[in-house]
Amino acid sequence: MPLNPPTVLSRKLPGKFTLAVSAAMLAALSLPAMAATQQEVLEQKVDALAKQLEALQAELKALKAERAEAAAAPAAAAPAATAAADPSAQPTRQDARAAAEHKEAFLSGYGEVNFSRYDHDASRTEATVRRAVFGIGYRFNDSTSFVSEFETENTVVSAEDGGEFEVEQFYIDHRFNDYLSTKVGLILIPIGYLNTAHEPTRYFGVERNNVETRIIPSTEREGGISLYGRTPFGLSYDVGLTTSFNLSNWDYASPEGAYSPLGSIHGELANSRASDLAQYVSLNYDGITGVNFGGSVFTGEVGQNQNVGVTASPRFTLWETHARYTQGPLQLQTLYAHGGFSDTAALNLANAGALTPIPKAYFGWLVQGAYRVWRAGDYALTPFLRYERFNTGSDYAGQPPGFGAVDRPTETAYTYGTSFFITPNLVLKADYQQYRRAKEDNRFNLGVGLQFY
Amino acid sequence: MSVSSRIVLLPLVALVASAPARATVYLSIEDAQQAMFGAAAMTAQPLTLDAIQMKAIEKASGVPVRGSLVRVWRAADGGWFLVDAVIGKSELITYAIGLDADGRVKQVEVLEYRESHGGEIRYPGWRKQFVNKKAGDELRVGDDIQGISGATLSCEHVTDGIRRLLATWALVLKPLA
Repeated sequence: MPLNPPTVLSRKLPGKFTLAVSAAMLAALSLPAMAATQQEVLEQKVDALAKQLEALQAELKALKAERAEAAAAPAAAAPAATAAADPSAQPTRQDARAAAEHKEAFLSGYGEVNFSRYDHDASRTEATVRRAVFGIGYRFNDSTSFVSEFETENTVVSAEDGGEFEVEQFYIDHRFNDYLSTKVGLILIPIGYLNTAHEPTRYFGVERNNVETRIIPSTEREGGISLYGRTPFGLSYDVGLTTSFNLSNWDYASPEGAYSPLGSIHGELANSRASDLAQYVSLNYDGITGVNFGGSVFTGEVGQNQNVGVTASPRFTLWETHARYTQGPLQLQTLYAHGGFSDTAALNLANAGALTPIPKAYFGWLVQGAYRVWRAGDYALTPFLRYERFNTGSDYAGQPPGFGAVDRPTETAYTYGTSFFITPNLVLKADYQQYRRAKEDNRFNLGVGLQFY
Repeated sequence: MSVSSRIVLLPLVALVASAPARATVYLSIEDAQQAMFGAAAMTAQPLTLDAIQMKAIEKASGVPVRGSLVRVWRAADGGWFLVDAVIGKSELITYAIGLDADGRVKQVEVLEYRESHGGEIRYPGWRKQFVNKKAGDELRVGDDIQGISGATLSCEHVTDGIRRLLATWALVLKPLA
């Protein structure tokens, strides 16, 4: 990469500047010496000059290193003494192509078309473009880029139709160094596996798993700032300060809060109330090849000064821990998530007898195994089995006597099926889901999912 | 940037001490050669593939060959050193592999990485999986190479790149030696 002249010029400036400073220093040093002998003055001057020379040498060295680094960047500028005669040092077609692919704006996308046939109610059988998502990114410079994702769910968004249009991600990413980057804007919360890796080629089953849909309300995103990075020994971290949920949106009469407590009140940065903020910490360890484990905590106050009728400050907390083991064609995965709201007794009492009080605790966990039984080139067939236990309201505060316990029973779900990969980024899926309690949800699913970038 | 603001920024730069001007360059080609072959003399032997060779490499590796030029160095001990670049998700990853005289992988080094995500491919444990691999081995994520959650694409694309380089060695470089 050629150094452009203005850069070289500006890099010379500090040198001149330091010279000026040294002259001033020299003058300052000389002042007390005026009374002393001429020799002392000279010695001091020589000392100061020597120091200055050292500083300049150091600066020159740093500049040289910087230039060498810049020259090394396009891969083959000066590998050795042979460099001059080395044609591989010249720009190649590969470099040209690479440069063309190193573009400023980039496009990505993913989506899935799903079909579900319910065992016990044929009237619920449906087919839909579950998601069609397009991402647009822009690179401002080597360390700063913009990332966005726009999503439609179920195709048509209108007054009569049930579809949704969402801005799923919209943030600026800036890299400080290898260990520290930041994101600012509408960001995904790094909780569990699916929330940040939600492309259909990245998970098993036509529909996303229950635990990471209902306990962790994927795709959970908030507005805020994230600091993230990784250490050389395999630990990566992500900490953030974001907008929080708004408990005044809780609908005691709607079953939605019983389906996904947090999912029913998330703000998605659509004029989100933002006087109470949330924080998260997420850690992952990948230092042992084939093994990943980690966990995260996401918590924040949810009152949002909306005068929800309590003096206390209700707070949500969601934490999870996860592990994945891959060895050859085998992949095993587990995840446990636990959530809850504090200080909800008064609110629940005020809404005694309502269909959906606010849960003090809810949880879910899953284990999943997958094994790629066949592969030819990019084609691969990977059956999987998933077992889930989850409860969207295992404990409630503020239950008035005489109303009986409202704690929900724990649901068990089995999902078994297969993914047939045409390429790693294009998958056909088929599975069967069986619920121990909500048998009406037992169903057969078919799907096609894709991802490009 | 004005001189004074540069001065003001100096302590900040010192604070983020590990941040050189281009934080993404990890190793120069020379450093990588030294790491893999020590003091052995390295001779550049750049290679231009013809259309038939490119097709053959594609067929053997299952990976598209996008450039005709291969950056190759021969070590005095008979080993080989190749520099290549693949796209991670949207940015280039420049990496180097060292092969012994029999074409087995000695070492893989990431020279340059530009994306915020997926840099986990630099973990030594991940790169060690390639040691002793040779042309004809599966070399696929989910087979003999384990991926890393959160760096899926980078893992797959570097693995594909190494498979392509090993096929290049077997089909073109080995007969030359």
